[in-house]
Amino acid sequence: MTSSETIMPSSTAGENVGKILLKAEQLERRFGGLTAVADFSFDLKEGEILGLIGPNGAGKSTTFNLISGFMPPTSGKLFYLDENITGKSATYISRKGLIRTFQHDSLLSEMSVADNIIIATTHRLKNAAARREKMREMAKLTGLENYLEVTAGSLPHGLQRMLSIAIALAAEPKVLCLDEPLTGLQGVEVAAALDLFEMIRSKLGITILLVEHNMRAVMRICDRILVLNHGRLLAEGTPEEVSRNELVIEAYLGHKK
Amino acid sequence: MLKSNPGLALCILIALAAIGFALFSGDPYYVQVVIWVFANAVLAVTLRFVLLIGELNIATAAFFGIGAYTTAVAATIFEWPFVISLLAAPVMAGLISALFGWVTLRTKGPYFLLISFAFTEIVRLFYTKSEFLGGNSGMIGMYPPMALNDYYPAIAVTILAAILFALYAAERSNLGRIFKAIQNNEDIPRSVGLNVIGLKILCFVIASTAVGLAGGVHSYTNSVIAPADFTFFVAVLALAYVKIGGEGHIAGPIIGATILTLVGQWLHSFGPYENIFYGAIIIGVLLLMPGGIIGLGDRFRGRSTTRRDPH
Repeated sequence: MTSSETIMPSSTAGENVGKILLKAEQLERRFGGLTAVADFSFDLKEGEILGLIGPNGAGKSTTFNLISGFMPPTSGKLFYLDENITGKSATYISRKGLIRTFQHDSLLSEMSVADNIIIATTHRLKNAAARREKMREMAKLTGLENYLEVTAGSLPHGLQRMLSIAIALAAEPKVLCLDEPLTGLQGVEVAAALDLFEMIRSKLGITILLVEHNMRAVMRICDRILVLNHGRLLAEGTPEEVSRNELVIEAYLGHKK
Repeated sequence: MLKSNPGLALCILIALAAIGFALFSGDPYYVQVVIWVFANAVLAVTLRFVLLIGELNIATAAFFGIGAYTTAVAATIFEWPFVISLLAAPVMAGLISALFGWVTLRTKGPYFLLISFAFTEIVRLFYTKSEFLGGNSGMIGMYPPMALNDYYPAIAVTILAAILFALYAAERSNLGRIFKAIQNNEDIPRSVGLNVIGLKILCFVIASTAVGLAGGVHSYTNSVIAPADFTFFVAVLALAYVKIGGEGHIAGPIIGATILTLVGQWLHSFGPYENIFYGAIIIGVLLLMPGGIIGLGDRFRGRSTTRRDPH
């Protein structure tokens, strides 16, 4: 296996970036005749915000399902905290602190905001009072403290997005994988969410893998960006490098001429 | 705790009244009816308990039967003491349900429903083909010890009521919250470190153990059991109790079981037409009050209990 050496070294990852937390080696996932992800290798380093972008159908959500254990890869390997987690269950991987959110159906729509967050604390905290305290803390962080008894499904969309992040944070992640957390948010809400992500990284020390369609937001917040196209890694680098990459521009805007 | 929960206090009073009635009423028929009400309430409540994780478990009927037959075998073939024969029922039901759940709870919805239906019928056919279980005519001779004879109805009601309170406590605990989360969207609990399959099996085993104990009580209450007592239709009736009483709260199936059991006693006089009345009542309730009787109360208070429409 020489795949890890073939990854382009990223030139200017953030200053506080440390050791490799998550490493994917030649991930591949096929659905019958369709190859959703192929030959995809990358590293996620401690303390960074790594963006994963690509056109619709590029394999971003499949990648999320593979690394979070919701779906086993057809081939390839995954290492998390130096442990081979390939083929491990979602329960196992999330217990190790690799927590994902969902693009759709990202919460318990029929349960209260408080219950949504408490559910996420149950694995770590066995004491009811400790769970409630953690729940309040996470609700406050995400601006939900005045909605605790509201049914999650009837929250405004922006707050539903915040709740899915509160759920993930309540599970005490080391690595937080956010699947399109900004979809449908208004300008002010996007800014607030980005501030929250920055705070999650700097104050809580959580490493973030971000799948997102909002290019301006991705360019602003990510230290490094991976670009997927047709399930394969098209480019990797800093936001500036990626935004100037001819292949990337072509993938998003189509062929010139 | 009781001050803050008047409904629970009321239920404890009703249970105590029923135990008192079973102790002091001289009329064996009415005492029998009270036990039936409680046994049917346990069937309905255990069916609803597995509905908490979103699965319709026809095998509630099978585990009621497994409990009844286990006690019958222990009491009449092995001639074990009363308490041990009774306790063998939940143990057996719990063990078999753990195995059954481990294999089958990887399926969901209509698949699990059909498997649990098939299991119920297979178990029933097993009884009919087993000589030592008495074949089609079943088993006879499960009597509580002579010394307890006068108190047995009260003991039966006490055990059945205790099962109801225990399941209420389980639902109110954090475990109940997790079960509801699994029903709502099982990917969420799975993504935060919870073992969803294991928790589904746990829910199933709790319900099956509870209904197995009720089956053991039934064995001693009736003294006679037969395969025909444990068809899938038992679960269908339990579902009717749940739907009529209302699914939103544990009191729903208890109210539904009480009303339909009492109405059923009256309907017996209509002979073969009895089931037509059941059917009509079920259709009427489902059309006119989708939240069941419990749902009506909430509607008067201006709350909606049926699933909220996505706006």
